[in-house]
Amino acid sequence: MLRTILNDVWASRELLVQLIQRDLRLRYRQAVMGFAWALLLPILTIGAGLVIKMVLTQNVASDVHLSLGGIAVKSWAWAFFAGAMNFGTVSLLTNVQLVTKIYFPREVLPLSTIAVQAVDSAIGLGVILVAGPWLQFHWSVQLLWIPLLLAILVLFTTGLVFLFACANLFFRDVKYILSVLLTFGIFYTPVLFEPSMFKAPWSELLMFNPLSPVLEGLRIAMTNSGSLLTVVHGPKGGVVWSPWFLAYAASVGILLLGAGLVAFRRSAAYFAEFY
Amino acid sequence: MRGHVLFDGVWKRFRRGMTHDSLRDLVPALVRRLRPGTTQAERELQEGDFWSVRDVSFEVKPGQALGLIGGNGAGKSTTLKLLTKLLTPTRGTALITGRTGALIEVSAGFHPDLTGRENVFLQGAIMGMPQRLIRERFDDIVDFSGISAFIDTPVKRYSSGMNARLGFSIAAHLEPEVLIIDEVLSVGDAEFQARAFGRIRSIVKADIPVVIVSHQLDRIVELCTDCILLRQGQAVFQGDPQQAVNEYLHGKPTALVDATEATSTGAGFLEITRFVPESVNSGEQITCEVTGEVTAPAPPEHIELEFVLVEVSTNKRLYQNRLRALQAHPTRRGRFAIAMTFEANFPPGLYRLDTVVWHHERQVVIGQGPNKVFQVVPGRPFSGTHQVNMVAQLHQS
Repeated sequence: MLRTILNDVWASRELLVQLIQRDLRLRYRQAVMGFAWALLLPILTIGAGLVIKMVLTQNVASDVHLSLGGIAVKSWAWAFFAGAMNFGTVSLLTNVQLVTKIYFPREVLPLSTIAVQAVDSAIGLGVILVAGPWLQFHWSVQLLWIPLLLAILVLFTTGLVFLFACANLFFRDVKYILSVLLTFGIFYTPVLFEPSMFKAPWSELLMFNPLSPVLEGLRIAMTNSGSLLTVVHGPKGGVVWSPWFLAYAASVGILLLGAGLVAFRRSAAYFAEFY
Repeated sequence: MRGHVLFDGVWKRFRRGMTHDSLRDLVPALVRRLRPGTTQAERELQEGDFWSVRDVSFEVKPGQALGLIGGNGAGKSTTLKLLTKLLTPTRGTALITGRTGALIEVSAGFHPDLTGRENVFLQGAIMGMPQRLIRERFDDIVDFSGISAFIDTPVKRYSSGMNARLGFSIAAHLEPEVLIIDEVLSVGDAEFQARAFGRIRSIVKADIPVVIVSHQLDRIVELCTDCILLRQGQAVFQGDPQQAVNEYLHGKPTALVDATEATSTGAGFLEITRFVPESVNSGEQITCEVTGEVTAPAPPEHIELEFVLVEVSTNKRLYQNRLRALQAHPTRRGRFAIAMTFEANFPPGLYRLDTVVWHHERQVVIGQGPNKVFQVVPGRPFSGTHQVNMVAQLHQS
């Protein structure tokens, strides 16, 4: 089944390109926000990180180590995830007139929104890299991990988007549930804080969130130049990094993508009936 | 690859009403299902299902063109949606071999903010046309649509006719191996319709299997080699197009009627005994005779008989009037006959004369009487929505 789905998607790659072009044209041609849109969410989250850092250093302890570069790169990754989830989940409903009238592999609709989000994120990344010296990024061989980390992020996001997109078609309130999940999900994900701020079981528990290893991996690779292959213990005793965390995130990502694709394809037969 | 269409013993079930479409409704529904005693309601929901297509079979080979005709809700569009894989059959097989071109909602993929040019590539891609082919055919597509002056204008500034013309042109240049057509022959003005029809005819001539739904019965007869008449999801006639059209126009429709109440309240029965001509030039007169019998001692005051004229393609009511207002309401028990004439002051197309039993106090329709479908063909030339038989006199020195 997976093979058929992938073949279908490959066969309609030109359609995918057209849909991506359509959305990019619309977003960057007329929308006042245009490029600003691509920067809004990361800027807001970095600002929030600054506030939290100030609160922590001015009140609790002066030895709190919170890297601003880490917050920037993790906010950027989170913005991609949240944006892709938001637009991907409603992608079938915003293309109602297509899904009910014309047959084509429906997978291209969520995929195109994810790709558009990726373009936005690429612009955002450009800006973050320009601010690189100020954000104290370390340029080292560890940067070679980044493509793998981003690949895991994309796999995980895509799988979830497929699941949410078809669920949202059958149950129209899924998008409201999603917005609640995204609003509070950031508190369960090390975006504005780091696992090293937690004691023993909690730092490891935090890593059960499949996004945590990806985000932390990005932070370590870009600001720390520590190796992602070594186990790191935090100042409070807990394990804050292990290559196994990454392996775990990668497996969850692959499984989720497989499950998402299969569930989406199975329910696709009923899409036109359910509008 | 040679195109081929196979529709084998297909049944399609629909739900009459949506059971739930949000989690907020699903959770109470699940809880209700767990409680005993409310399962009856659940069972009734299941009984609310209905068959939109019942055991329909056909095959279309190269060189054949199949027409699907029937009234509203007969299952024509559902059949096409099953063919184009938008819907999955409940039972049976719907199978198309070969690249399918579907002339259904030809501008569905258009985005209002994009220009005509951008939309050609987008819509083409949605219809499964390789970009290379679209680039090659781009000039042909634009020429055929006749809107080349506006090709770089956002389509939101197009008229609906321009929209449809561009959409049709894209679809017509798909080079399909199988062609599915739903009511797109009425796109644009008369000149474009003729061009569109010519294009479709050349596709049929090129040995490409075609399945077509249209209310323009004369077109069906002209284009198709085979025809199916659908009534309430069933193929009631299958074979020669002219015979199918005759069957459609003359055959007695199955009772949509809840006649029992009408009868018990004294309306008796109603029959359309004469209707000439069935194909009328626009602006000319139709004569119709309705006979019936009042079975109650006297027709009750609260029962009204109505004539309603409906445009079949849009289901729009063009005219309705009560027998009492027409001073033709039967006043005594026994048989009666009503002779009626009216002018077909409509543009060419398919129309239906309905008879309706109306309950005056409850303000509801309590029965559908017999109806008659008739065709209006071009009479004295005009364009617009009403044939007013205008007379103009020219004096010049």
